[in-house]
Amino acid sequence: MAAKKKPAAPAAAAGKKSSGMNKIVVLMILAALVPFSLPTVILLFFTMLPTMAAWASEKGSNKYAWLCVGGLNFSGVIKFLFDLWFGVHTLDESFNLLSEASVLLWAYGASGIGWILYMSLPPMVSSWLSFTTDRRIASLKAAQKRLIDDWGDEVSKKNVS
Amino acid sequence: MAQAAEANSSEQEKPATAGPPGVLRDRFIIRSNQPLPDMSTPNAEAFVAEDKRDAKRPLFALICRPDLPPRVNVMRAIKGMQSPGQMQLVDWGPMNWAPAGRQCMTVVYERPVGKRLMTNLRSECQRIDEYVITQKVVEPLVSAIRELTNRGITHRSIRATNLFYMDESGGRIALGDCVTVPPAFDQPLVFETIEAGMANNVARGSGTYSDDLYALGVTLVFLLMGRNPVAHMDDDTLLKMKIQQGSYGTLVGDERLPLAFVELLRGLLCDDPDQRWDIEALDLWLAGRRLSPLQPRHEKRAARGFPFNGKEYFNCRELAAAMARSWDAAIPPVVEGKLELWLRRAVEDKERAQAVSDMVRVVLNGGGERRAATDQMLCKVLMLLDPTAPIRYKGFNAMPDGVGTALAAVMAQKGDTRLVVEVMMREVPRLWFEARKYYLPDNSLMEGNFRELKNYLTQTGMGFGLERCLYEMNDALPCQSPLVGEEYITELKELLPALNASAAKRTDSKQLPVDRHVAAFMGARARSDIDRNLTQLSDPDASRSFMALLNLFAVFQYRLGPEQLPALAGWVGALAAPAVAAFHSRDKRKELEKELAKTVRRGSVVELYNLLENTGERDKDENDFAWAQAQYQAADDEIKRVLNNDEDREKEALRIGKQTAAVTGILIALITTTIVVILKVW
Repeated sequence: MAAKKKPAAPAAAAGKKSSGMNKIVVLMILAALVPFSLPTVILLFFTMLPTMAAWASEKGSNKYAWLCVGGLNFSGVIKFLFDLWFGVHTLDESFNLLSEASVLLWAYGASGIGWILYMSLPPMVSSWLSFTTDRRIASLKAAQKRLIDDWGDEVSKKNVS
Repeated sequence: MAQAAEANSSEQEKPATAGPPGVLRDRFIIRSNQPLPDMSTPNAEAFVAEDKRDAKRPLFALICRPDLPPRVNVMRAIKGMQSPGQMQLVDWGPMNWAPAGRQCMTVVYERPVGKRLMTNLRSECQRIDEYVITQKVVEPLVSAIRELTNRGITHRSIRATNLFYMDESGGRIALGDCVTVPPAFDQPLVFETIEAGMANNVARGSGTYSDDLYALGVTLVFLLMGRNPVAHMDDDTLLKMKIQQGSYGTLVGDERLPLAFVELLRGLLCDDPDQRWDIEALDLWLAGRRLSPLQPRHEKRAARGFPFNGKEYFNCRELAAAMARSWDAAIPPVVEGKLELWLRRAVEDKERAQAVSDMVRVVLNGGGERRAATDQMLCKVLMLLDPTAPIRYKGFNAMPDGVGTALAAVMAQKGDTRLVVEVMMREVPRLWFEARKYYLPDNSLMEGNFRELKNYLTQTGMGFGLERCLYEMNDALPCQSPLVGEEYITELKELLPALNASAAKRTDSKQLPVDRHVAAFMGARARSDIDRNLTQLSDPDASRSFMALLNLFAVFQYRLGPEQLPALAGWVGALAAPAVAAFHSRDKRKELEKELAKTVRRGSVVELYNLLENTGERDKDENDFAWAQAQYQAADDEIKRVLNNDEDREKEALRIGKQTAAVTGILIALITTTIVVILKVW
């Protein structure tokens, strides 16, 4: 076992290394784009702060909050992003937009809805699963009762052979 | 055990019992209000009998005692036999007998016109002249014995008190009944050989024709003298005298008999069965050829007596008889070596002394059950002292072929059977057979039978045990089960109709139509081996035992009939619940119950069996049930799994909820973007 496990450690290290490398490459590309789309970046950075907060705040392997919050957050921002792109794509315009309360209200309001959605869906799914489980148990018990009706109580005894 | 009552009383003088007449085989009417004390035997009452087909024919019937096994095989063999020396047995069979309130075996005989030659052993009888006795007695009686021998049977009731004048002139004398009781049961000791006389009267066995010839010799002595020459002797004295002086010396003594008869009587009363006259010798004598009379050979007399129980015994045979009578007292002198010493010094028989010494040493050195070994040792010692004597074991004295009738009598009289069981379990008959000087095929056969009986005894289930031995050893014994009521069932084909008849009378609805006696009767009388089925009768699984019984009944009904047994079918059908319950399917059970009711109405046990023992259906039921059990178990496991996974389900719900929220967020973003793009483009 130990012999088998040994090669796994360098492989995992190699995986981590390549993932780190990818992130660096993506960051470098984004950094290269910054000079060409700085207004966009500024707008997105300030409006998408809840998404980043969601990404940073969630622990564990199943990090889904930033996707849900981010999706809603982006939906709140997209209209203003288009206004920036199809209007005057300058740093001033970007700050003008950020200084408008409605822009932040849409962005942060939408992300709030995202949070509400994210918080409310798991209990709903749990209730649904519980409901379907109860139905399954009832169905199995009904099947058992039918077997007892057809074969008597001895059908419930374990067949030793 | 019952003792023959003849010695001190007349043949039969019992109070008459009245009631409606009995009818045998729809032909013979037995008048219960017309007893015939003169024709009765010590153990069978005689009544007037009428033949419906020939009212003038003089007949009488003997009613057998229900607690004694009659000789049915002999009845079969001599029915209708016409011999001048034997009263003709006209018919026989079980018959409802009102005075007894049950069925009794009844034997119808031709009624003698004259009287009995001798009414009891103490009375005198008409002396028959030496010139006519040959023609009137010897010839017809020898003819009768020859006829019986040809049929492979013995009479065993030849005695002066069982001879009748068959006509008014007294010209024809014939032997009376020989079938109503076990062989030689009614015979007084005087008419029995020394060996047979030592046996309990119920256990004397059928013996051989040689025993009949001995009884003929004694009868001739009575008739020639016109009295009982040993009337003054009790049985013990008589046996002692026979051993000491020989039968001829005891019975004839100093009496002067015609010379020709001395030769005949010495031949017939010879105590050595190998030297005793046989039929051929008798024929020669009847033909006029005179042989030199046999000289009596007496038992060797010891130089000094063996003191036992306050008496001194001078020969081995007498000592063995005394020891057999006082079993417990006989053990110490044998174990202490006194007997060996006496045999070595007084009898001067070193071989026997050494054999006794060896037997004692085996007991003293052997382990195991000391008491049983000691009993067996004494039994062997007695056989060594008197090899011709019957099996003698703790007061049970029996010829090997008489053990069966002894057992039947003991069981019928609700006596203690432990001794008989002990004899068989300890293989005492084997010891007896091993002590024989010569090989006899019959002995090998009997030894094999006893081995089989021991095997039956070791099995305690229904159909085995002592009851099985009872029916195996008495092949004409009626079934003793209370289930067949008062019916007299001797053959297997009569069993099911009897159970059918008693079905209506039963009070306990849960009572099975089988008990130990019925099962043992079936096992012993069935021609095929049904032991496997009988073993299943005792199966703890009620359905298996019921099906085994049903199988037996079905086979018997199929082979022996009758076709319809409605009451028995109803009886069995009412008890079929375990067999129906053996099917698991409730639907199948309901279907069977409906079919069962229809089949019961048809009265066929065979159809009942076929209905319940459907192998295909049973296998299908088993397979389906196994499948249903698996289904149930799977459902059970699933339920448990679901109920036990609450925590996992919560985690799963959280994960699915989060994923759903993420997907929803992304979808909303995509839709919003699409809408914004479309609005901008337009």
